[in-house]
Amino acid sequence: MADAALWIMVVVLLVVIVLLMQLLKRILVAATSIPPKIDAIAGVAAAASKDLDAVAVLLTTQGYIKSIRASVLDYGGSLDAALPDY
Amino acid sequence: MEIQVFIIIVLTAIIIAELAGYLILTIVQLFKINAGLSVVLPLVGQIVAKTNPVNPVVDDINAQLVVTRDALENLMLKKAGPDSAGLVESLFPGEGAKFLRRVGRSGKVVNVGTVYTRGVGILAGLGRGAPIGVAHAKGAAVRDAQYSTTEVAKLYPAPPDRRDPTQNIPKAPVIGKDPVHSPYEPTSTPGTRTRDAQGRKVEESAPPPAPTGSTESSSAPAAEEKPAAPTQSEPPSAAPARMSAKGSRPWER
Repeated sequence: MADAALWIMVVVLLVVIVLLMQLLKRILVAATSIPPKIDAIAGVAAAASKDLDAVAVLLTTQGYIKSIRASVLDYGGSLDAALPDY
Repeated sequence: MEIQVFIIIVLTAIIIAELAGYLILTIVQLFKINAGLSVVLPLVGQIVAKTNPVNPVVDDINAQLVVTRDALENLMLKKAGPDSAGLVESLFPGEGAKFLRRVGRSGKVVNVGTVYTRGVGILAGLGRGAPIGVAHAKGAAVRDAQYSTTEVAKLYPAPPDRRDPTQNIPKAPVIGKDPVHSPYEPTSTPGTRTRDAQGRKVEESAPPPAPTGSTESSSAPAAEEKPAAPTQSEPPSAAPARMSAKGSRPWER
């Protein structure tokens, strides 16, 4: 009876080894796949950060838009005075 | 020691070694992840910092553009009236209805460029002499006496026999007696002049002469109070509200 119990324990340990190896292998594969993606994200983030340097030009655009608005409104005022109403 | 016990001990050692090996490898990968994230996070912070002022600037630009658009749309409404949406539709298909919604009006959008040949409606609204004003006075003549009909023909589609079949230009529509969008509408009241033929201001109390169809009969309003009708033998009066200068010119006196 004691021998049978020991053999059963051996079989259980063998099954545990196989299952544990599978699970740990999957965890390791998942963990291994993360660093390359992080490196890729770092590259994209660096490029995006560099591209966003042009955002400062928006302030210039804002000034241009203000001057264009003033010019268009002046032009509209002139048209208003020059053309007859409907 | 029994063989089963030995096997159990070996298997337990294998399990422990397996656990230790995989966990160590996993920890190494986690360290790499940590290092990678420490590189990424400052870059993300830079992106956030650089995009932070975008929203207010873009909002301000949008506000400026909306003010400009509203001003131009109001100007168009003021100048073109109910044809505004049709004009917008002729230039930007699909925008006429949006234009009407923006200005708070409703109705059917008639594409002016479809009802009329493109540009003709605008020129008709501006008047016959409009093309002359587009060029400098000292420049070349806009209205060419020799080829003026060619220029006009460019505005209107060619007849079918002279039309380029590849361009698929539609025929000019027949507007009919009562055009919906004709810029020429009959007036219900007689016209008034603020100045006479000599450039003098006409008093508002002077009623305009009745449209008899003859300019010869137009005379001073003061003369209408007289019982006798004016005759052609009478000298022309220089009173205001004359609709014609005929008879008052120096060579006609």
